[in-house]
Amino acid sequence: MLDRRQFVAGLAMLPCLPRPAAASTGLRVAALDWALAETMMALGHTPIAIVAASDWNRFVVEPRLPSGIADLGLQPEINFELLASLKPDLILTSPFVQDLEPVVQRIAETLRLSIFEKGTVPLARPRALARVLGERLGHAEAARSLLVTAEHTFDMYRERITAIAPPPVVLVNFIDARHVRVYGGAGLYQNVLDRIGLVNAWAGTTNYWGYSTVGIETLATDRDLRLIAFEPIPADTRPTLQRSPLWSRLPFVRAGHVSVLPSVLMFGAMPSALRFARLLVEHLERLPR
Amino acid sequence: MNVVHARHGPPVLSLGLGILALAAVTLLLARPVSHVLSGPAAPAGYDVERMILVYATLPRLAIALLCGAGLAASGAILQQVLRNPLASPTTLGIDAGARLAITMATLFTPSLLGLGRDMVALLGSAASTLLVFILVRRRGFSALSIILAGLVVSLYCGALSALLVLVKDRVLASLFIWGSGSLSQQSWEPSTALAWRLGIVALPLLFLLRPLSLLDLGDDSVRSLGLSVTRLRLTAIAIAAALSAFVTSAVGVIGFIGLVAPIIARLSGARRFGERLLWSTIIGALLLLLTDATLQILAGVSSEFVPTGAVTAVLGSPLLLLLLPRLNTAAPPTSFAPAGRGTATTLPRVPALAAVAVFVLLVTLTVLVGRSPTGAWQIVSIDQWDQVMIWRLPRIVAAAAAGALLGVAGLILQRLTNNEMASPEVLGVSAGAILAVAVSLFMFGSLAPVSESVVAAVGGVVVLAAILAFGSRSSFAPERVLLAGIALNALIDAVVGIMSATGDPRAILLLGWMSGSTGGTTAGDAAQAGMAAAVLVAVSLLAVRWLAVLPLGGPQARALGVPLARSRFLLLLLAAVLTAAATPVIGPLTFVGLMAPHIVLAMGVRQPLPALLGAAAAGAGVMAVADWLARTAAFPLQLPTGLVAAMVGAPFLMVLLNRRSTFP
Repeated sequence: MLDRRQFVAGLAMLPCLPRPAAASTGLRVAALDWALAETMMALGHTPIAIVAASDWNRFVVEPRLPSGIADLGLQPEINFELLASLKPDLILTSPFVQDLEPVVQRIAETLRLSIFEKGTVPLARPRALARVLGERLGHAEAARSLLVTAEHTFDMYRERITAIAPPPVVLVNFIDARHVRVYGGAGLYQNVLDRIGLVNAWAGTTNYWGYSTVGIETLATDRDLRLIAFEPIPADTRPTLQRSPLWSRLPFVRAGHVSVLPSVLMFGAMPSALRFARLLVEHLERLPR
Repeated sequence: MNVVHARHGPPVLSLGLGILALAAVTLLLARPVSHVLSGPAAPAGYDVERMILVYATLPRLAIALLCGAGLAASGAILQQVLRNPLASPTTLGIDAGARLAITMATLFTPSLLGLGRDMVALLGSAASTLLVFILVRRRGFSALSIILAGLVVSLYCGALSALLVLVKDRVLASLFIWGSGSLSQQSWEPSTALAWRLGIVALPLLFLLRPLSLLDLGDDSVRSLGLSVTRLRLTAIAIAAALSAFVTSAVGVIGFIGLVAPIIARLSGARRFGERLLWSTIIGALLLLLTDATLQILAGVSSEFVPTGAVTAVLGSPLLLLLLPRLNTAAPPTSFAPAGRGTATTLPRVPALAAVAVFVLLVTLTVLVGRSPTGAWQIVSIDQWDQVMIWRLPRIVAAAAAGALLGVAGLILQRLTNNEMASPEVLGVSAGAILAVAVSLFMFGSLAPVSESVVAAVGGVVVLAAILAFGSRSSFAPERVLLAGIALNALIDAVVGIMSATGDPRAILLLGWMSGSTGGTTAGDAAQAGMAAAVLVAVSLLAVRWLAVLPLGGPQARALGVPLARSRFLLLLLAAVLTAAATPVIGPLTFVGLMAPHIVLAMGVRQPLPALLGAAAAGAGVMAVADWLARTAAFPLQLPTGLVAAMVGAPFLMVLLNRRSTFP
């Protein structure tokens, strides 16, 4: 028997399955930003080409990139000759690559969508992205159902978080054995934390994109919290930290409140937000209480 | 009075620095220390303030002292051994090799870093140091030659690191931090380990002190002790390289302490080598401590992450500019003069035709041969012609034009400075262009609506004006201008490092621009670049006589009626304008300006007119081939043409230089 939890989790996976593109405009779309590509794919419209396709499975992880999508190469060094030969109808850009617009406009019409925006409502930007792309690509219905499912899923995650009442979390990437990047501010991760009711223990400032680079000593605290590190973790980090009293005597380290999660696209959209929430909630639930 | 002043100069200076550093440290430690003292002797739980004081702040101060001391001692030894007041771990490319080695290890064998960053960094340092010495071994180790070779190796390592960062940007955030030297600590382990290492490496110095000071009196006095001068030099250099490599492997690249501390010690009056070594070490330790303590106090105020190493470089390079006029950097003229004089050859007719044919064939091939969308190699067919030519031809033309501009600029600079390691990159004009683009990128978010080229040109012109103003004081003595350019390059490298260390995503955009992308070149851009190349190369032809006479040396040139200051000024201006015109197309780092004149020389062309035309053609050919490689080698990935040119060109150049050094 499916319980409600499994049912909603199943619903959450639905957008990742291939759909018939009946109402679709059938546009041939190239996406110059991963967040736009993953949103398109969630709407059931596979892009014909994306940037840095060869890195996708390592950093976005899910959904796996379907075969047959052309690799446009590095984001700052797009293969224009290849892009032109694919004869796209529409090229999706973001402010990060807007300097390329005059060039790619020689190939096809462009649509610039901002991935990132400082806002008060959590996840407002990923929602808007799904809606606008749904309208433009003829998947308005798919976009609506994606968003409804997403809200249900987040609501469910919120309940599950309330049930386990975990301590505040700190989200980091270990840069080397001495530095971390810690997340908060207006970034995607913080948006997800806000949406599912988790408290971020990082009180320091962050940059415009919602993270900050600090020495590991900055994480020292006597509070109870859970440190969540995203993969990959450099090879020398763990052994070095274990030998540091500053680290090994930290209350949350002694209590074993240190977790490792797979990589989640930081500059992602709704699919990455959903994936992050799922990884986080499922991980926290698996922990002994 | 003077003697007294000289004798007491270094201790007085060190005392002053020590008081300043103590004040900063007191300010930094006052609160945590009083907290710890007022609390219980053995606190029950995790006392955050105490733990941070004991395991972060104090070890950080210790490592600052150690790193400063190690780098300064390394610099003092290098300056003594090489008889060169500008030698240092940074200027010799010792840091750069370590940086590249760590980059490559991070990418290809991350488990190696788990075993020890030290060994990786040491190997990298050894390789880059060796390379510098191979480049200059037949050139009498003159001050300028070594510095220029060090710069070229640094730039090359930097370009290779940049290419790797671009291709794998998501993995390499750590390298920005590492390249800017953060002193952040979490235990006593790194400082203890570093203390041991520096101590053990420095131990043999005690026995080398006397023979090394005898170098002041000339090599013969060393020989009179029954020692081999070469072996002494190599041992001392190995020690110096190890000192700085250990520091670099522990905390990353700390710019300029190893250069500035020994210079300050020398200028404040330390005469003998023993004194210089002692006071350099003390001054270096105190300087880094002062910088880092101040930085930590300020970091409490602002939250931005600013690595210490980049700050020392930002402070150190203007200091170097100020100190330059007080240093005697005169070096015996090397290179062109002996080989160039007397053996003047005109280009033989048949090889000239052959060279032209090869050039035309190469450029034609780069246009016609490409990869199909599936990745298969193909010669472009008639029906694809329009499609391919919209994208391919403009970038090839622009790249070739930039290559011609830089080739001519390089030829002019090499003749003007009489130094075959001179290149347009060294002038600092392109560094100014990068800085302007960086500032506009970080202040205004994006480069639009003002185009990169405009911003870059403004930056280049400002730096050019600064170089000319600076140079006018030494009536445009070429080595002064080049050294100022080196200081400027380091400054800009540091500023870009600080901008990037915070992990700002715009750093990747900046790197993209710096790497010399030709991808989106329009027909209009290409036409502009082509016109600029045609006009400026034609203008350069007017300078042919000066280029023939100036390499003979100042007095001879004057005797032949060439106005020295004016001709140097105009040639520098011309080289700078040529560089500024090429930078927006191809980025700041290509080495084509260094290479093209050497290709021409290797073909036996020495007369200025054919050499100038040949350098333009060689530059254009190299860039066309680089552009073709950039487009096809890693298909569907497109690589930045500027970096590819550096990758291909630098090893080629090293072979050329090595071969030429065997000429009589």
